[in-house]
Amino acid sequence: MHQLLDVLASGVHDTKNQLFCAEAHIAETEKKHGIDLSEARYAIEAAAQRLSRTLTAYHLLRDGASLAVVPTLAEDLCSEIAIDQQKHLARAGIVLEVKCEVRDAWPLDRDLIADVLNNAVQNAGRHARSKIMLHAWNDDTCLHFRVEDDGSGFADLATRGTGLLVAERIARLHQRQGKHGSLTLSNNGTLGGAVFELCLP
Amino acid sequence: MAEVDYSKKRFLVVDDQPMARESLRAIAQTVGAFAVDFAPGYQDAIFKIRNNTPDIILCDYMLGDGRSGQQLLEELRRFDLLPDETIFMMVTGEQSYEQVVAAVELVPDDYIIKPFSPDKLLLRLDRVAAKKKFFASFYREKRKQEYEKALAILAENKGSEAGRAYRFETLRQEAEVHMAAGNVEQAETAYRNILEKYEFPWARAGVAKSLRQQNRLTEAREEIEKVVAGTPHYFDAADIKANICMAQGEHEEAQKVLDAVAKKTPRNYQRKRLLAEAAELNGDVETARKTLADVVANDTMPGAVSIEDQLNLARTHVGAGDLISAEKVLLLMRESEVMNMQLAQQGSFSALLALASPAKGKPKFTGLRPALLETPLPTNVRIDVMHAALNINDNELADRQTKQLMSGDEAKKVFGTVRKLYALHSRENDFREIQRQVALQRIHHEET
Repeated sequence: MHQLLDVLASGVHDTKNQLFCAEAHIAETEKKHGIDLSEARYAIEAAAQRLSRTLTAYHLLRDGASLAVVPTLAEDLCSEIAIDQQKHLARAGIVLEVKCEVRDAWPLDRDLIADVLNNAVQNAGRHARSKIMLHAWNDDTCLHFRVEDDGSGFADLATRGTGLLVAERIARLHQRQGKHGSLTLSNNGTLGGAVFELCLP
Repeated sequence: MAEVDYSKKRFLVVDDQPMARESLRAIAQTVGAFAVDFAPGYQDAIFKIRNNTPDIILCDYMLGDGRSGQQLLEELRRFDLLPDETIFMMVTGEQSYEQVVAAVELVPDDYIIKPFSPDKLLLRLDRVAAKKKFFASFYREKRKQEYEKALAILAENKGSEAGRAYRFETLRQEAEVHMAAGNVEQAETAYRNILEKYEFPWARAGVAKSLRQQNRLTEAREEIEKVVAGTPHYFDAADIKANICMAQGEHEEAQKVLDAVAKKTPRNYQRKRLLAEAAELNGDVETARKTLADVVANDTMPGAVSIEDQLNLARTHVGAGDLISAEKVLLLMRESEVMNMQLAQQGSFSALLALASPAKGKPKFTGLRPALLETPLPTNVRIDVMHAALNINDNELADRQTKQLMSGDEAKKVFGTVRKLYALHSRENDFREIQRQVALQRIHHEET
């Protein structure tokens, strides 16, 4: 069982290294010729994210992986999501607005949460008409991330695909002082469409 | 816009794969880097960093040849080759590296998972540069070992608005400074303050280490067992556990724990030194000999193999009854090294030589006798001196060392070794008598 996981992980690792070589090559070409190939790089990164996500999902659904929690700044996380998604969404006429009101470093699994949020923004991008908002804030006990769009909302709030199941698992694995994280989906947010909200203790 | 002018920074890219190295160079140049140097592996990296410390190191996690970027980082810190001002960024395609960073105490400034865009690297480098700027005055005081001043800066940081972004880093630095300054109780408190906020494995391990320093061994063991159980990939925790086990006199367990992790990190020679110590205490002289011989032959970092290593190796040869090898190790030590030894090292050297080759060692050993009788000595040295003294029937010198050993903090650790040596010289009864005296003295001490 673990041997299989090791084989998969090592394959994913090698592939991501190869993808990095491709992305670096493109970035170099862009600079040399002053052209914009960011969509090609976006496709490469999306492919790598998809691979990692598959491995993570396998981990989480099969043998209950453990988190790698490090102190993280929500602001940096939001900036990275913006770097990953803003330009790509703009090509489809969608504006990604980021609002971060968190000042304290927060203990969380930076890479998994970044992936969950990237995924949520990508999903929103498929349904939004013109706007997506990523909003981070905290109260005394919880750090909140909310992704909402101005689309028609979730058709069915009860059924959740693999992506959302994994997101929920990841949220719940975040535990602190006896509390655990959660994922809430709803409709009719401030932009009128779907609302995806993570709460991490 | 970049907050730092990266064209003025010296980059070093460490990666064993030529393609990946080229890619990292290309990305670094895209963010504005002008001077990018390469190191294809561990040794080259150390050589280059030692000779001309770069401003920014981009290091791949997998370096080939059984080495990892994490090991490079640890080695650089061990030999103080990495100033706090240098940015060390780990680059990895391996998602499992996150698990390492989340557990261990010694972390890079940041890590980034491949593939990544130049913009993302830029963001992360800017962020690290901002952090280094925030802690700049603290780093200066810490380097000068002005611990009080360093702590005062941290206290100020804690209360500041800008400090909120670095609240965990500040707490961690506070604990480490207390540890470095020898304030072990304050270090414990600082680590516990972190745990109140979040159960970081490295903070729990910090509690265990500070308890170990306070000689509160049972509590220390309880704490470290939690860490080892929760994060088996955190190898430093295994080292700490072994260290505590040895202090408790549980040498077999210490050796078992170290043997398991040393197999997974075959090029970690600090861990091998610890394994040799545990094996020797456990009476497994062959493993101790083999392991130390490996350290002395293969820890290739200049200056890494110390006088202590060579004395330790000689000691294990003596323990195994291989006196010729012991003599060879001792006589092969450079004359300048032997001349410049401090009294403690001279004590071990002459004692071991007296054991290996009485004709060559005894005159020097007896010459040192008056000093060895009166001077406080480290545990290892006392054992060597006691061993050599037993051999030449100098009971006064031997018993004086034993009395000190049995009343010291490391009595449990060396009890088995000392008893065995007395038994070898048919002096078990005398050993028991010394123990009785030490116990009486302790009771007397507690009553008054």
